[in-house]
Amino acid sequence: MHHALGLVVLLVFLTCVAGAPAVAFERVGDRKILVFVGRQEVPTIDPSIKYDWSIRMMQQSVYDALVKYVGPSAEIVPWLAEKWETSADGRTWTFHLAKNARFHNGDPVTAEAVRWSFARTLKLNQGPSWMLSDFLKEDGIKVVNATTVQFTLTQPFGPFLSVVPWWYVMNPRQVMANEQNGDAGQKWLTTNEAGSGPFKIKRWQPGTLYELEAVDDYWKGWPSRDHVGGVIYKLVREAAAQRAAIIRGEADIAEGLTPDDYDQVAKMPGVVVPEFPGMTTFGLKMNTQRGATKDLNLRKAIAYAFDYDAFLKIYNGHAVLEDSPFPKATKGYSAVPGFYRQDLNKAREYLAKSAYPTGGIELEYVYFDGLEEERKMGLVLIDNLARLGLKVKMTATTWPNMVARASKVETSPDFLAVFTTPVSTDPDAVAYQYHKSSWGKYYGSSYYANDAVWALIDQARTTVKWADRAPLYTDIQKKVADDVPEIFGMLMNRRWGMRDHVKGFSFSPVRFTGEVDLYPLAIIAK
Amino acid sequence: MTRYIAGRVLVLGVLLFGLLCITFVISHVIPGDPARLAAGPDASDAMVRTLRAQYGLDRPLGAQFVVYTRGLLRGDFGLSLRSRNAVAEDLARFFPNTLELVTLSLLLAIVVGVPLGMLSAVYRDTWIDHWSRVMSVSGVAVPAFWLGLMLQLVIALHLGWLPLGGRLNLTTALPQPITHLLLVDATLRGEWATLGDGLRHAVLPVVTLCFPALASILRVNRAEMIETLHQDYILNARAQGLGGVRVVAKYALRNAMIPTLTMIGLRYGWMLGGTLLVESVFDWPGIGLYAVNSALSSDFVPVMGVTLVIGLNFMLANLLVDLGYAWLDPRLRRTAA
Repeated sequence: MHHALGLVVLLVFLTCVAGAPAVAFERVGDRKILVFVGRQEVPTIDPSIKYDWSIRMMQQSVYDALVKYVGPSAEIVPWLAEKWETSADGRTWTFHLAKNARFHNGDPVTAEAVRWSFARTLKLNQGPSWMLSDFLKEDGIKVVNATTVQFTLTQPFGPFLSVVPWWYVMNPRQVMANEQNGDAGQKWLTTNEAGSGPFKIKRWQPGTLYELEAVDDYWKGWPSRDHVGGVIYKLVREAAAQRAAIIRGEADIAEGLTPDDYDQVAKMPGVVVPEFPGMTTFGLKMNTQRGATKDLNLRKAIAYAFDYDAFLKIYNGHAVLEDSPFPKATKGYSAVPGFYRQDLNKAREYLAKSAYPTGGIELEYVYFDGLEEERKMGLVLIDNLARLGLKVKMTATTWPNMVARASKVETSPDFLAVFTTPVSTDPDAVAYQYHKSSWGKYYGSSYYANDAVWALIDQARTTVKWADRAPLYTDIQKKVADDVPEIFGMLMNRRWGMRDHVKGFSFSPVRFTGEVDLYPLAIIAK
Repeated sequence: MTRYIAGRVLVLGVLLFGLLCITFVISHVIPGDPARLAAGPDASDAMVRTLRAQYGLDRPLGAQFVVYTRGLLRGDFGLSLRSRNAVAEDLARFFPNTLELVTLSLLLAIVVGVPLGMLSAVYRDTWIDHWSRVMSVSGVAVPAFWLGLMLQLVIALHLGWLPLGGRLNLTTALPQPITHLLLVDATLRGEWATLGDGLRHAVLPVVTLCFPALASILRVNRAEMIETLHQDYILNARAQGLGGVRVVAKYALRNAMIPTLTMIGLRYGWMLGGTLLVESVFDWPGIGLYAVNSALSSDFVPVMGVTLVIGLNFMLANLLVDLGYAWLDPRLRRTAA
């Protein structure tokens, strides 16, 4: 019934919008303003406090970091730091700053600003602080001279450089001038910026729109003469309105459309849908410590009973199946031979070895209420496991409830539908999800336990040389796959609906779902 | 009369405190850890503990209640864990948008619904009455989100007459706030282009939100008018040769308006708390959207703030309705006195 209604609405909608004239991007004077429509708010822009895709898109635009991820290979390139070196033991990192880097108010970006920014994030103990807090203390950051800053880690940390792009540098003078009641500028930085990035804030209307203005004399210059003069990020929460906005040219970029919507808008004149392999994994996490899924043989039976091609069908083919616990773009990824695919004979073999040889039990599948793709995956699960005599109860719930259930082993469900995007291409970002430290987090809802794997993860992250780390990660991938703490699902392709006058789009797999690097974008149109 | 008003205000205070208690308890017993959600998916336990302590969530429930209530008395609604903003500031930002939407919708519903109900009763069983009844039934039956989407599709997308959503065009700046009501501020500042833009953006959401209220007002007013028009005093007035318009507009309508006024008061309160769907469809940055986004993040401080504001407005609307009774019916004035 819902599908029929949806189809009717879609048909009416397409009939209405067909042939509608495309309107150009916005203009303010001679500036071409790119309009980006998205569903997610930007509740704060403070780099020390929080990040998700929409927050980080804005942070990345108004702030700079020492280094930056660029391009499909997620190469780390110099940014505020022109060059850097590390000590032989991997504990000391020295960064040399670009001498021409300037904050928006004209102050130079100094080593002291870098030190202060890292110290502030560590002290507030929020946002990206978890990435380094086990390895970097405030007194380990030293200003060598005005343009040289040195980090001394408490122990070697192989992935150090891979997380530095998410530590943005703030202007301490500007922030502290706006401090209120010793809040280290938190209140002010919620809707204001003190950065040196390619854009500055022009308008900030929480819950409505956020407008950035290009800094014409950006210290690093612009990659294109036709670079955007500004960006309006407008909140459009309804899928139909979002789709309409991109088709009619009222938006230049739209994110978060459904797989069907992307296919539809791709056929519209003037619209392109760039598509790239993503790093966001989707898996059905199984509770390995409680209930029936504690049984390794049952988990294997389930993994072999699942129809993996269903994942691809649900995404209309715009996804690739996982063949390792690590996403393909991860450094050190290696496909695990004989990775799980549907094989009912094997499924029955493992079921026979389990404590439930004839099935006859009911398992709970918990998914995000309102996400149609996850609901469909639950239906596939019901159908597939019925062949083993296993019943599945589907529970749709809100995100807070999912997080709350995952936070305790006693309440973590048999299956939890989870999308996970690692923060970097370093394998530690994925491997650590299987570490005991991830228990209680939504992506740790498997409560995976394997002392050997945990030891390997610890060893790998504190090893400096990649040549020594790589084999450890190969081993980790094999061992985790063998323990099958989840139905390893698929990697959904990243897509955006985009007007064809938008040029310069640069994809990088480490960016979160809808996140776009706004800096290289240009509008080539009259 | 003064004692009557004072009594009602006292009751209002008690009701508000009751609402505060209920909202506080419900907000704190629902599953979910707001600190963990606010800290982010990767946050360590230490980070979650830091946040919990910073926002006082590690204190006993009773202590949290006392702190919250003390804050309320100073006009401090607490801090949002999601946005890290003061909830009072958020409410000041979003509530005026909802207030404008609801007020315009209700005014439209009254301006159209009351005369239509009156005409429907006077010209009972004629085409005017039939048409009005169709309107009143469909107004109650048609879901607001569906009507909103259809208006968007036809009026905004197909015909291109009005904008799809939002409060202003993307490049139109907000007027400098005086009352924080966009249309009022634009008028006071003499920014006529902004006013026009704001009104164009308001048409579709206002019509969408107004439709169910209009239907209810129309139906109640029609029924009351039919009953009133059969009263002896109306017959008497007519027998004495008073004109039809005068009898209907002056004598019948005034009495028929008492139940309609109740309906309007209830509707106002209901609409203030029920704008979510319309705000979602039209991306209207109001209090409904704010409440839902906060609830979905288990950010209960804004939810409590929204509930209290809506509750207070609902109660004030009812108080005004009661006072309106007294204005309409002198007998009630005497009783109250």
